[in-house]
Amino acid sequence: MTAVSERTAPSRVAVRRRVEQRLRGTPGRLAAALVGLLCLGIATGIAGLVGVRQRADLIDQVASRSGRLSVAAQNLYRSLSDADATAASAFLSNGLEPVALRQRYESDIAAATAALALVSTGAGSAPAITAAATRITGQLPIYTGLVETARVYNRQGLPLGPAYLREASGVMRERLLPAAEELYRAASTEVDRARSGAGSFPWLAFLLGLMTLAGLGVAQVYLTRRTNRVLNLGLVLATGSALVALAWLGISAVSVAGRLEASRAQGSAQVDVLTHARIAALQARADESLTLVARGGGAAFEAHYVEATERLAGKDGRGGLLAEATARASDDVTERAATAAAEQTRAWLAAHKTVRDLDNGGQYNEAVAAAVGTGPETTASIVNELDTILANAITHNGERFAQETRRADRALAGIDIGIVVLTVLLAIGTVYGIQRRMAEYR
Amino acid sequence: MRVASLVALLTATVALAGCAGAQPPLPGGETAVQPPRPVGVQDPAVIPSASAGPPASCDPRASFQPAASLPAPGRMPSGSAMDRIVQRGRLIVGVDQNNYLFGFRDPLTGELTGFEISLARTIASALFGDDRHIQFRTLSAADRIKAIQDGTVDIVVRAMTMTCDRWNEVAFSTEYLSAGQRILVRADSRVDGLDDLAGRKVCAAVASTSIRNVANANPPVVPVAAVNALDCLVLLQQNQVDAVSTDDSILAGFAAQDPNTKVVGPRFSEEPYGIAMRKDAIDLVRFVNGVLARMRADGTWAALYRRWLADALGATASPPVARYRD
Repeated sequence: MTAVSERTAPSRVAVRRRVEQRLRGTPGRLAAALVGLLCLGIATGIAGLVGVRQRADLIDQVASRSGRLSVAAQNLYRSLSDADATAASAFLSNGLEPVALRQRYESDIAAATAALALVSTGAGSAPAITAAATRITGQLPIYTGLVETARVYNRQGLPLGPAYLREASGVMRERLLPAAEELYRAASTEVDRARSGAGSFPWLAFLLGLMTLAGLGVAQVYLTRRTNRVLNLGLVLATGSALVALAWLGISAVSVAGRLEASRAQGSAQVDVLTHARIAALQARADESLTLVARGGGAAFEAHYVEATERLAGKDGRGGLLAEATARASDDVTERAATAAAEQTRAWLAAHKTVRDLDNGGQYNEAVAAAVGTGPETTASIVNELDTILANAITHNGERFAQETRRADRALAGIDIGIVVLTVLLAIGTVYGIQRRMAEYR
Repeated sequence: MRVASLVALLTATVALAGCAGAQPPLPGGETAVQPPRPVGVQDPAVIPSASAGPPASCDPRASFQPAASLPAPGRMPSGSAMDRIVQRGRLIVGVDQNNYLFGFRDPLTGELTGFEISLARTIASALFGDDRHIQFRTLSAADRIKAIQDGTVDIVVRAMTMTCDRWNEVAFSTEYLSAGQRILVRADSRVDGLDDLAGRKVCAAVASTSIRNVANANPPVVPVAAVNALDCLVLLQQNQVDAVSTDDSILAGFAAQDPNTKVVGPRFSEEPYGIAMRKDAIDLVRFVNGVLARMRADGTWAALYRRWLADALGATASPPVARYRD
């Protein structure tokens, strides 16, 4: 034991002494500076590169994976609401449902299942998404089964038909739509999380870069004092490279963040409000039809209608989600669409009153005609027009979202190669500049 | 030997790989079946406390004596309620449009039809000479009395039980159908009354007298309340309840919609149906009673019964005997 420590202790001291001697001399210090600066420079390069790759991945996620997931969730939510509204409207047309409405219902279910498949394959990410998708997958067949049962009874002219339709609508409203809303929220949260990750400032790379710059500065001041030469070409090159890399990182980060914020404010935030407006309109439409389907027992559905239209456009047709969409509209197209939608909603409220008055006055067939007829003043035409306006506005804002996300991606173009090249230049400059001075001491 | 062991090894490997590659179970393990439910079902039902005070005592079936003969159609005594209706040009009738066989819409034509609709048309014919001078207003059960009192409708023919409490608010014609609460079960069921249903689920409309009778059954059953009595039939078809209980007239409509069900057991309540009118329109009540008396006598009532109800309620029917209070 003692023998070993006696032998190692002096050798450790000797090493330390030798290093201290070396560092005390100018060449030693220069060598240390070279190593330090190289380490810092390469660390900056690696941190910058990794950061850029991560952000590019996150932007890609916003644009493609999460983006697609959120669009699919939105489609699912919408097609389910539309199926509810369409199934009820189809019921009102005495026995034989119109072919067009039946086809619309079928394409709603097809769209919902396709969106559900897409959401399910993309799940695995968030447990909330998997849970909601599982609930929808379990209840959707039950819903469609009830609608078909209702349809068969309705064809036989039995009041059981409307009873089954009410039960189907209950499954839709109490189970499917809340799950679809949850799924839509979870998908939107994923997009937001990816977006805030992609838009965050690369602090680590930036700090390392600043330290590299400071180190280069100190090294140059030291060399100027020692050698009385003002400029060291190698170190100037290294400093220049570090500066360019730092500026590039900073500017690109700010620009990406700006584009992503634009994609949110001008894209997905608008899409969100408009989607909720569209779904409120579809639910109100379902309520309007179900009130008539219930044949005198539809007071609860009428109360839902009032609730849904208030959510859509406030009590007087001038507030609600549509007013919010107008206020937050970031361009003329969206603002015009939101204003037009509010106007349609007011027309709808007036036409709905006619329908209710006819039904309450015992003129049931006239009320049905005013609700599902094909004329321009029927509520069916007004709601279709409203839905088209909102659908177009959603597509428009979805495109703006995609556009800004693409721009964010472009703001990162070339920066990965640039950082590699600049790091190499920084290393070459540092080695070249310090090696020359060290050589003078030999 | 070698080949066999190789095969065994391969099989084992594949089996292991299969196990390793198996999907993890769904969150929550085994997925529970969640059957659909009509909106607003209470299982078990919340039973409203019984109405305050004992019911007024009277003979709810007793109405006002008609005149010896009916006035000719279109020639009503001037100043009478019938005259005002004829002057207006149409009889306004409050009906149901959701009660199969009684008042419902034929989905192919959209027109109202059923036993009670035919009855109302017969009264319109007695007033006008034909049944086209009639306007139907569909009423919910809760709106019936108000619609009579404020004059929105002239008469209400809508499965309305004559009770002493209601006699204080409206006037009734003589009884046009004797109904009573019974139960509806699956066609293959051996149940023959509430007694056989101890501890099982029995469905009735929420806040109805039917659900109260079900809740008071002895031995006790589990009452399930649905918003509409028809929702109970949906629940019965989906095996979520064991029986439905309400007026046998309504159950008859259910059994007619689903031949795999049957109405069984004795009546455990009396529900005499009468046509309701304004309390002060005694002349109209007497006129309607006259029309009903004629229908009983000339076979119109029996014909209507045969057309709509005999299949479901049995062909026993003779019309309920008219009882008068004066």
